[in-house]
Amino acid sequence: MNWEPLYLSIKLALFTMLLMPCIAFPPAYFLAFSKRRGKCLLDAFVTLPMVIPPTVLGFGLLVVMAPSGVVGSLWEGATGERLIFSFSGILMASLVFNLPFAVQPLRASFEKIDKRLLDSAAVLGLSPLQTFYRVIIPNCLSGIAASAILVFAHSLGEFGVILMVGGSIPGQTQVASIAIFEAVEALRFTDAVYMSAALVPVSFVFLIFINILNGKQHR
Amino acid sequence: MKRLASTLMLFCLALPFNAQAADLILAQAANFMPVMKEIIPAFERETGLTVQATYTSTGKLYGQIINGAPFDVFLSADTKRPELLFDEGLSMTPFVYAKGSVVLWSKNKALCDADWKNVLKKTSIEKIALANPETAAYGTVAHMTLKEEKLWDAIQPKVVIGQTISQVFQFTVSGAADVGFCAYSYMFSKEAEKGCYAMVDTAPPVIQKACILKRTQHLENAKKFVAFLSSPTAVALKKKYGYK
Repeated sequence: MNWEPLYLSIKLALFTMLLMPCIAFPPAYFLAFSKRRGKCLLDAFVTLPMVIPPTVLGFGLLVVMAPSGVVGSLWEGATGERLIFSFSGILMASLVFNLPFAVQPLRASFEKIDKRLLDSAAVLGLSPLQTFYRVIIPNCLSGIAASAILVFAHSLGEFGVILMVGGSIPGQTQVASIAIFEAVEALRFTDAVYMSAALVPVSFVFLIFINILNGKQHR
Repeated sequence: MKRLASTLMLFCLALPFNAQAADLILAQAANFMPVMKEIIPAFERETGLTVQATYTSTGKLYGQIINGAPFDVFLSADTKRPELLFDEGLSMTPFVYAKGSVVLWSKNKALCDADWKNVLKKTSIEKIALANPETAAYGTVAHMTLKEEKLWDAIQPKVVIGQTISQVFQFTVSGAADVGFCAYSYMFSKEAEKGCYAMVDTAPPVIQKACILKRTQHLENAKKFVAFLSSPTAVALKKKYGYK
C-alpha cells in the first residue's frame, strides 16, 4: 500500500491554505469595504471558479499553464522549470479553484465588523493597513478560520482540475483523489478502500484541530 | 413573479425526455474513435438504426461492464479483457476487429526523427505523455516496450500519465507534454499533421478484440454491427486510419 498520494493531498491542502491569504485578503477587503460601482464585476470574477465546471477551469488552466501559455512561459522564464504537471502547477490550480471558498467567508466576516470600531481606529490615527492588522484581523479570526477550514477541506478533495493539469505523477501530482480514481478504474478495490478510509479520519482530525485552535483564540 | 417561475419550472420537468433511445450502444476503446466517428454514420445510413458510443480506456470500459453497464458491444484495445469477459460468461466469443500501432508524436517539428528511440534521447524533452498502463491498452504496450528496450528507468521521471489515449494526445497537442505515445489512428487529423511522429516499430501490433455482451437488449442489431465491421466500407475506413 502506497501512502504517498495521501501525503501529497495533505501537503497540497496545507500549502493552499497557507498561501491563500495572500490572494484572498485583498479582494475580500475590497468587496467588504469599497463603495465603488465595479464591485459587482470583481465579485462575479472571484466567484467564477465556484460556478464553472472543474473541467472547464482545468482546461483553461492547461492552456495558460502550458509552456506556450502566458503563465507557463513566464514561470519557465523565472524559475527555469516547467509549471504544468508539477507540484507548483497543481498548487497554482488549487489556489485559483479555492479562491471563492476563501473570499466569501472572509468578506462576510469583514462586513460584520462594527463600523464604529473602524471609525475609532481612524480617529486614533491608524492607517488603513494598521487598522487591517490591529482591528480587522483580530476581530475576524473565526471568519478566517472558517475560510481556512473550507479551503483545506475543499483542496483535499480536489479532483477534476487536477485530473486536467496534473498528469498523475507519483510523488508530484498524483494526489489521493486521483490515486483512488485510478485504483477503482484498474479494479484495485482494496487499495481504493484503504485510501478512501484513510482520507476520512485525516480530514476529521484536521477539522477538530482547527476548531480547537479557533476556540482557543476566542477565549 | 414567483408563480411564473414555478410554473416555468414545472413545465420544464413535464417536458418529455425527447432523447431518442439508441438501437445499439457501443463501448469503444478511445484509440478507435477517429474510425468509429465514420463507421457509425455509415452503419446508420445503411440500416436506419441509431447508435450511441462511449469512448474511454479499455480498462474503464471493462470495469463498467462487469458492474452492469448497459452496453451491447465492447470494442476493446486489447485481447485480454474481452477474453476475461468471455471466461466470466459475460460475453460471446471475442474476435479481432483491428490491429493498431503505437507512435511517438510531437507537436514540435524540431523533435522529428525517424527512430523513436533517438527522439526520446533528446535533452530538450521534459515531459513524455503515456496512457495509464493499468487501464489503457496503448499505454500498456508502450510501457512494456520501454521496459524491454531498457529505456523505462531513464525516462520514468519525465513521464506524465493520461487517463486515455485521447488525453495523451490532448496533452501533447496543447504542448503541455513535449512528446506522447499516441495511437497511429490519431495521426490523420489536422492537429497531428502540424507535428510529426515516429513509429514505435519495436512495439508489437496492438491486437484489438471485440465481443457482443450477453446482457444486450439488442442482439440482432449487435450482430448486424459486428457483420458491418468486416464489410468493405468498414475495412476501407480502418485502412484509412492506419489499422491493419
